[in-house]
Amino acid sequence: MMTSKERWLAVLHREKPDRIPMDYWATPEATEKLLRHTGCDCFETMADKLHIDYLVNVEPVYVGPPVANDADTFGCRFVEMDYGHGIYRECVYHPLAQYDSVEAIERSYSWPSPDWYDYRTIPQQIAGKEDHAVRGGGSEPFLIYCRLRGLEQAYMDLAMQPEMVGYCLDKLFDLAYENTRRIYEQIPGRVTFSYIAEDLGSQTSLLFSPETIRTVFFPRMKRMMDLAHEAGVYVFTHSDGSIREIIPDLIALGIDLLNPIQWRCKGMERQALKRDFGEQVIFHGGVDNQVTLAFGTPDDVRREVQDNIDILGQNGGYILAPCHNIQEISPPENIVALYEAGYTYGQSS
Amino acid sequence: METLEIIRKAIIEGQAKEVEQHVQAALDSGMKATTILYDGLIPAMAEVGRLYEEGEYFVPEMLIAARAMKTGLGLLKPFLVEGNVQPLGKVAIATVQGDLHDIGKNLVSLMLEGAGFEIVDLGVNAEPQKFVDAVQQQQVNVVAMSALLTTTMTRMKDTITALDAAGVRGKVKVIIGGAPITQAYADEIGADGYAPDASQAVNLTKRLLAAS
Ligand code: B12
Repeated sequence: MMTSKERWLAVLHREKPDRIPMDYWATPEATEKLLRHTGCDCFETMADKLHIDYLVNVEPVYVGPPVANDADTFGCRFVEMDYGHGIYRECVYHPLAQYDSVEAIERSYSWPSPDWYDYRTIPQQIAGKEDHAVRGGGSEPFLIYCRLRGLEQAYMDLAMQPEMVGYCLDKLFDLAYENTRRIYEQIPGRVTFSYIAEDLGSQTSLLFSPETIRTVFFPRMKRMMDLAHEAGVYVFTHSDGSIREIIPDLIALGIDLLNPIQWRCKGMERQALKRDFGEQVIFHGGVDNQVTLAFGTPDDVRREVQDNIDILGQNGGYILAPCHNIQEISPPENIVALYEAGYTYGQSS
Repeated sequence: METLEIIRKAIIEGQAKEVEQHVQAALDSGMKATTILYDGLIPAMAEVGRLYEEGEYFVPEMLIAARAMKTGLGLLKPFLVEGNVQPLGKVAIATVQGDLHDIGKNLVSLMLEGAGFEIVDLGVNAEPQKFVDAVQQQQVNVVAMSALLTTTMTRMKDTITALDAAGVRGKVKVIIGGAPITQAYADEIGADGYAPDASQAVNLTKRLLAAS
């Protein structure tokens, strides 16, 4: 039997694993519910029981200037928003909203430094976890930019103030780059992959024009990807929604895994994705989290797992996972069905 | 180019300053506010909606066009009020409780405003009572709810129940939308309508009000 890590690596190397690896994404509330349902007292026990090939996440420890509880290192502030069965954190203060030029930002705002983080605990974070793949480093700067400026302003900036977007994204990418480099340096050869992500799709189309994506996002993401590849680290790219039009670009940039494959979104039909891109990229995700997991029956979930393995997993190149964080509304029975079906059916294919 | 065409073009291209300048010039030259609204602003926003639906415009382009439209509308408002020009209807719109995804909600709200509706924007994370209050205190005739999450879409039903309990359900049309929402879900919870995007939300609202 392979270890979780060997299973992930087999897929990444385009070899045949003993079974399809399975990943887990969920909100804390959904995990709580699942722990109760399975009678497990901690995540690891439950993951072993459900055969989840979970990752070990490494990150540096923040040691910079003090940050308030409701804030982050960028000076954004958050409130907790109650949705009835849990909370989501919402950014309510946008520290760069007040500025209208790059000069004004340069005069008044100081960007976090990679020196504000201590990287020395990273080797300990993976100690004893040799059987698991490791995730570390990476980038998702436009998400941060939206918090810094406020979402609507950030979107309008893309069309109206490209120099400001460029300036800030360079700062954010520089931080991510150096952070990632130092993580790799701490545990050479042990990071399996980095998330180099950005949400570029909505349910029916791209959020931004392909030109914007190609000029503003891709060149900067490419630099991160090259850093990863030079260190022997795989590139995991996440973008929600309908993004078919730019998948060829992502492949040309050098991504290794694509997540989450929201196949109910327009243009994201699984057969066509597998046919057109299956040789060049590994699919991660695919278990619908908007309908099937949330409102389907365990049988619906099992059927979907089989379909995914048949279609996305044909000749390998697939890691089974939900299309995003499983939300609290998804019945634990459905989550168990997901992993049981993946375990059983994932052996034979 | 004639003034109205310049105004339309400036809105479509999202040039807020130009819109301001030309709307002001048009008003100064004695053009009626209603003419500028019905032949300038409204058709321009309809065109923006079309460009979005056809995949030529994306969210940023929509937002800046809408912002330009609003600049113009701001200048017209005093004249419209003075002339007692009635909006097509009054819509209370929000993203439901627990949900903060508001890009879609804002686009729907801007397109409705750009089509001649008056908007009461209740923001994000709006609990059922907020909609009820808006109906009772602000005489809205349409309640529009947006939800992007499976954990929050069920709040739409709670809102309809609350409108019912307050005895005002019959006074309003309820429309819903957002990524995970479908016509089937609208039927299931007893909403009056569903639309998959912002332009169709405008047609839906017009249709529902015309029928009532
Ligand atoms: C951008 C985004 C975010 C942003 C939101 C910023 C903001 N201020 O809006 C951020 C990063 C903050 C975010 C956070 C989260 N998100 Co989010 N997000 C998205 C994303 C990528 C795009 C949504 C979007 O803006 N689309 C663009 C607009 C224009 O489209 P739209 O909203 O669908 O609206 C159109 C139509 O639906 C319609 N419409 C919309 N509303 C209405 C209303 C009426 C009345 C009518 C008629 C029509 C209508 O018209 C609009 C215009 O054409 C989606 C991906 C997706 N597939 O949609 C995930 C997505 C919605 N998020 C998801 C999740 C899970 C989350 C989080 C819960 C993450 C977490 N913590 O686990 C949090 C929740 C935060 C919260 N409390 O709400 C999941 C939801 C899955 C599920 N099971 O429900 C999605 C689907 C991603 C995925 N891969 O599964 N997210």
